[in-house]
Amino acid sequence: MKTVRNVVCPFCGSLCDDIEVDIEDNRVVKVRKGCAISATKFTKYNEERIYKPRIDGREVSLEEAINEAVEILANAKYPALYGWSCTSTEAINIGIEIAELVGGVMDNTASVCHGPTILGEQDAGISTCTLGQVKNRAELIIYWGCNPAHAHPRHMARYSAASRGRFVKGRKERTVIVVDVRKTHTAKTADIFIQIKPNSDFELLTALRWAVKNGELEQEEIAGIPAEKIEELADMLISCRFGALFFGLGLTMSAGKARNIEAAVNLVRELNNYTKFVMVPMRGHFNVTGANEVMAWATGFPFAVDFSRGYPFYNPGDTTFVDVLTRGDCDAALIVASDPVSGFPAEAIRNLAKIPVITLDPHETLTTMISKVVIPTAVVGIEAEGSAYRMDAVPLRLKKLVEPPPGILSDEEVLKMILKKLKERVK
Amino acid sequence: MGEITLKPKVTFKVPIIAETITPDNFAGKPIEEIEKLEMWEGNRKTTLGDLFEAAGSSGEAPADTKIIIEGDVRKVRRIGYKMTDGQILIKGSVGMYLGEKMEGGKIIVEGDADSWVGAGMKGGQIEIKGNAGDYVGAPYRGDTKGMKKGTIIIHGNAGNEVGCWMRGGTIIVKGNAGLFPGIHMKKGTILVEGDCAGRCGAMMKGGKIAILGYVPSVLPSFTFEEIKKSFKVKGEKIKGPFYLFTGDLNENGAGKLYVSTEKNKHLQFYEKYLE
Repeated sequence: MKTVRNVVCPFCGSLCDDIEVDIEDNRVVKVRKGCAISATKFTKYNEERIYKPRIDGREVSLEEAINEAVEILANAKYPALYGWSCTSTEAINIGIEIAELVGGVMDNTASVCHGPTILGEQDAGISTCTLGQVKNRAELIIYWGCNPAHAHPRHMARYSAASRGRFVKGRKERTVIVVDVRKTHTAKTADIFIQIKPNSDFELLTALRWAVKNGELEQEEIAGIPAEKIEELADMLISCRFGALFFGLGLTMSAGKARNIEAAVNLVRELNNYTKFVMVPMRGHFNVTGANEVMAWATGFPFAVDFSRGYPFYNPGDTTFVDVLTRGDCDAALIVASDPVSGFPAEAIRNLAKIPVITLDPHETLTTMISKVVIPTAVVGIEAEGSAYRMDAVPLRLKKLVEPPPGILSDEEVLKMILKKLKERVK
Repeated sequence: MGEITLKPKVTFKVPIIAETITPDNFAGKPIEEIEKLEMWEGNRKTTLGDLFEAAGSSGEAPADTKIIIEGDVRKVRRIGYKMTDGQILIKGSVGMYLGEKMEGGKIIVEGDADSWVGAGMKGGQIEIKGNAGDYVGAPYRGDTKGMKKGTIIIHGNAGNEVGCWMRGGTIIVKGNAGLFPGIHMKKGTILVEGDCAGRCGAMMKGGKIAILGYVPSVLPSFTFEEIKKSFKVKGEKIKGPFYLFTGDLNENGAGKLYVSTEKNKHLQFYEKYLE
């Protein structure tokens, strides 16, 4: 038996890097320090695996599958390449090259989760920091529209509310505020819980900003919260020495989307006239931040890039995969490390089922079931190494712990083969 | 006046970028030359003649050229890009970025239009008989230069963010409007004759917005001024009465927001600030 220490967990955007795993006979047998989700990922990653490449449900060799994928991509007039948040940055980088070569739309899963965060930041800027700063200094922490107790189980203990920092020693020295539409488990641990009416985040953020500016609130109640309480809250935010706002899909995906984030950025900016305040998005998949980082450095845009006219063009709403699909614009798709069929609107899925789809995934998913070409790959962070970005954009190295099943390559290697064949084909 | 009729040869699947369909590009050219105008079909470069059947003859100048498009052009984008004069009539529904950066002339759509109608428009007139998508008159994301001059009339409903980053001109929505009409607006006029989903004039610095129908609430960063009897759009008087608000105070803005008193009884509490 072998024990590997300081393993980075490839599940959520927290990327906890202190996991210890025991390995026996090329299998993970025990996980220490990880949360329940992490332990399940490390020990059960082998369930529902795909072991052989397929074309139309028929098992084929890897070479045949790659040739078919190359034909589909090369013949498409408007292919879309989507997913990328559960694979390594190295694989994403090759994906971008493929997208440019075939003149396709390159999008990552941020477009259906924290895409609005990016749009809001692009409109208003952002005051942010690393999670270490929050741990060591933040006296006041707000969780807005997110539930780390369930979605990022170790976030509060390692980086935020209950973490032991250098200057702020623990939970007792911090004030925790939760803003949500229902009393979540995170809300139950908070000092102050603000239950707002659904879809009224923008109004509350605007009112808070106006109260921070010392303006008078003319309405008695905003977003279901009495005006005096909002003024009280504004005083509290101003008087802390270091505040951090963590926000999740409750803010990015409720009515207003990107504008909610813009309002939050504006509030944080206003607060910085009086104190130090930062905001950090609670990113979901382990490398969704990496997908944005790689695309931003390679193309200038963090998601939804259209290469169809030979240069990168970006306009979410037009070039986002879910919109491209809903309108039925694309005529082929390459899905890597993602399962859009499970989460996309019905109209989009109906259109996806009509076109040839190539899927790279270690596991059987609803998307592999509607795909023409399926190529199984290794699980990144367990069977393949690579780098990933934490939610605060700190890059960390994922480890290879065990060997993948025989004949199965990593996303990076398969994409490299597709790229090589495509280059020959396009010539 | 010269008239040119375009008909799609097939049903389009992938997006067609047709920024060459403008009276400026058509004027003074014989049909053979018009058919050679460049277009994009997805990632392939192609020509107008490959995608459309063209008939008729164009006028000498853009001003006396009329383009009539028959059939479904939902996938066709950027029609009327930077046009300066003349007319385009679309007898169906049209795709995104219609009349983008248009400087003059007139576009009429008998069906619906997709998002970004008149994106960053600088003059002329666009009339949509059906509904319009989101971002009417708004620039691309990240840009801060919206519609500057001209008029957009939507007879049906409009989506979110009508007149985003608007710097001038007039937008009239005869139906209902979505969230955030006039967001980041600096100048110009927006009139919504139906209901509005709310958050009117968020972060606006100037300009005028009037809502004749129901609004769920007014943003807390707007202050109530007075009750006004009427509102003027392009010289025409529209009878109220209206609650008049100023904002967005968060941005030190001085935009005017007129909201019908009759349709918004739930805003009556503002009247206590009248003294």
